[in-house]
Amino acid sequence: MKFSISRDALLKPLNLVAGVVERRQTLPILSNVLMVLEGDQLSLTGTDLEVELVGRVALPSPVSAPGEVTVPARKLVDICKSLPEGSEIQFTVEDGKVTVRSGRSRFTLSTLPAREFPAVEEGVGTHRFTVKQGQLRRLIDRTAFAMAQQDVRYYLNGMLLELKGGRLRVVATDGHRLAMCTLPSPVPVDEDTQVILPRKGVLELSRLLLEEDQDIAMVLGSNHLRATTDGFTFTSKLVDGKFPDYERVLPRAADKIVLGSRLELRQAFTRTAILSNEKYRGVRLKVAPDVIEIVANNPEQEQAEEQVSVDYQGDSVEIGFNVSYLLDVLGVLSGEQVKLSLSDPNSSALLEESEDGDSLYVVMPMRL
Amino acid sequence: MLRKIVHIDMDAFFASVEQRDNPALRGRPIAVGGSAERGVVAAASYEARQFGVRSAMPSVTAKRRCPQLTFVKPRFDVYKSVSRQIRAIFDRYSSLVEPLSLDEAYLDVTEDRQGIGSAIRVASCIRRDILAETALTASAGISYNKFLAKVASDQNKPDGQFVVLPAEGAAFVAALPTRRFYGVGPRTAERMADLGIHTGADLRAQSLGFLQQHFGKSAMYLFRASRGEDDRPVRPDRVRKSVGGERTYAQDMTSSIELYAALEDIIDIVWQRIAQQGAQGRTLTLKMKYADFRQVTRAQSLPAPIVGREQFGELARAILAGLLPVPLGVRLLGLSLSGFETPTAQATQDIAEPAPAQYPLQF
Repeated sequence: MKFSISRDALLKPLNLVAGVVERRQTLPILSNVLMVLEGDQLSLTGTDLEVELVGRVALPSPVSAPGEVTVPARKLVDICKSLPEGSEIQFTVEDGKVTVRSGRSRFTLSTLPAREFPAVEEGVGTHRFTVKQGQLRRLIDRTAFAMAQQDVRYYLNGMLLELKGGRLRVVATDGHRLAMCTLPSPVPVDEDTQVILPRKGVLELSRLLLEEDQDIAMVLGSNHLRATTDGFTFTSKLVDGKFPDYERVLPRAADKIVLGSRLELRQAFTRTAILSNEKYRGVRLKVAPDVIEIVANNPEQEQAEEQVSVDYQGDSVEIGFNVSYLLDVLGVLSGEQVKLSLSDPNSSALLEESEDGDSLYVVMPMRL
Repeated sequence: MLRKIVHIDMDAFFASVEQRDNPALRGRPIAVGGSAERGVVAAASYEARQFGVRSAMPSVTAKRRCPQLTFVKPRFDVYKSVSRQIRAIFDRYSSLVEPLSLDEAYLDVTEDRQGIGSAIRVASCIRRDILAETALTASAGISYNKFLAKVASDQNKPDGQFVVLPAEGAAFVAALPTRRFYGVGPRTAERMADLGIHTGADLRAQSLGFLQQHFGKSAMYLFRASRGEDDRPVRPDRVRKSVGGERTYAQDMTSSIELYAALEDIIDIVWQRIAQQGAQGRTLTLKMKYADFRQVTRAQSLPAPIVGREQFGELARAILAGLLPVPLGVRLLGLSLSGFETPTAQATQDIAEPAPAQYPLQF
């Protein structure tokens, strides 16, 4: 097996593929990337047995000696990265070693047999649809922050993808707050389904979505999700579990509707957060006609106070929140205005851009 | 100076408490524990033991061995309060008491707090007081170190005691089956038998190097114990940091179904230990060793101590779920509970203001 390729053509897919490879491995071969050479195409595969990513690069000319081999992913990335831009890299496989040459540099890397490289088994795809990469990216960007991390409720450590009545919706929650985003344009799928993509799968998938206007073809099965773009094939196992009924926690009785400048509120929260309790991050929102007062205290008895003019007519109410949860939402929203719907100090708050926005956020209050 | 150590062990503790409090159960084979399909025996009365019912045995097996077995729900609050009573008795006789669990303790009686004159008489007095104040029987072992005292307390059980004098120590140990060495469980005993080691004398015949090769870090302990030596002090301040257990499997497991099934057994075993210790911990750690001996551990902490086997099991299963699918066969699974509430931490919490509380989403 022998071929050469430009550093820059190799680096982009290699970087993404190596991103899937975990630093700490239980199986030595999992720290390797599989390189398969066929015709004029080089494909690179990285896996952690849960998420598998295949990147494809076209070589300038068909090669005479096809073949396959696995090499240490991290080291290969580091080598390619540190070679000068625009350089040409030559790969030769001989006697169980890979030699990487470029200019006057030469590296000999160990290999493991390609036939031992584990493939993520694939089930039968039951739902197929195609969306623009930019559309999927927006769904993920708007919600991924709310996924749980290493929660015992393992089904929260991921993102719900729901196909229902011809529309695609994603939902993420850590049990304290929830983020939901719905694709405005319909997705023609006959049958409804719900799958949970694990956290790592979500993060790796979003890294592939670089070309706004290019398609990404999605296949959902009972155990796997597969997404294919021009350059990549992404496969992830799904979380085997039932996602909570998110519709149940969407506030229905919120009668106190506050409209405010997203930017002003965000800045005010950022400043008050400095003097909130570092562990609990609690701030008090005192909502009164035309103004929200935000107050934070910490155990050192320091205090921050902010006042922000808002559009609100109604009874005054005081509600505590984890300021990080509010900042997360205000950070992903993009409109000029934000709409905050509240009811009482024990009930959830709803945040959105406006009535016809595609995203919706539920944040539970705190008792302070 | 030679020490005088007494090991006190209550006889079939949980079961005896139940028989004491409910005359209808006296003289009958009973098991404390759940009779449900997944339950295990936490303690068996002596009547039940005659049928081969043992603690840690699945309830289903126990029922098969002894069809007339009566299952009694454990009442840990009662066991704990009896445990406090017996500890108060220990304190009268020694200032160096190291409790091992609710029903077992080492006492260093070298000092002879009450001037009784002999460790044998001290043990008798303690057992007499326990019987008078709790209407329960205990057995005692008396010797010059912890290892021998513990083995001795088993010798004349129930309601008996046994002395191993310094001059008899070596001979006593030589005749001891390996299984009775503290820390040698059924599996280690089996491995020893494979190596031709059946008794203390066989063990004594081995070099330290040989023991290290086969038994790793317990080698030194075995080397000395087989000579009747054990210089571990009785430590009244010893605070248990964790309670746990693990199992190595004859065959590596790869499927989730196998792993979940194996985990259920460990949940039973470890929960029983936790219940026996009356331990209240917040952190559960799951340990998994792969076929290539690499080991991973995953821990999960709760805001409050784990209460009940249900919650314990659920948490354990959730942690396991996070490690599935396994990349390699699994040869060992273990669970341990830690993060015990210490009285001081509790006290400071009580004084402090109530902490802010994040409300959860009500799915």
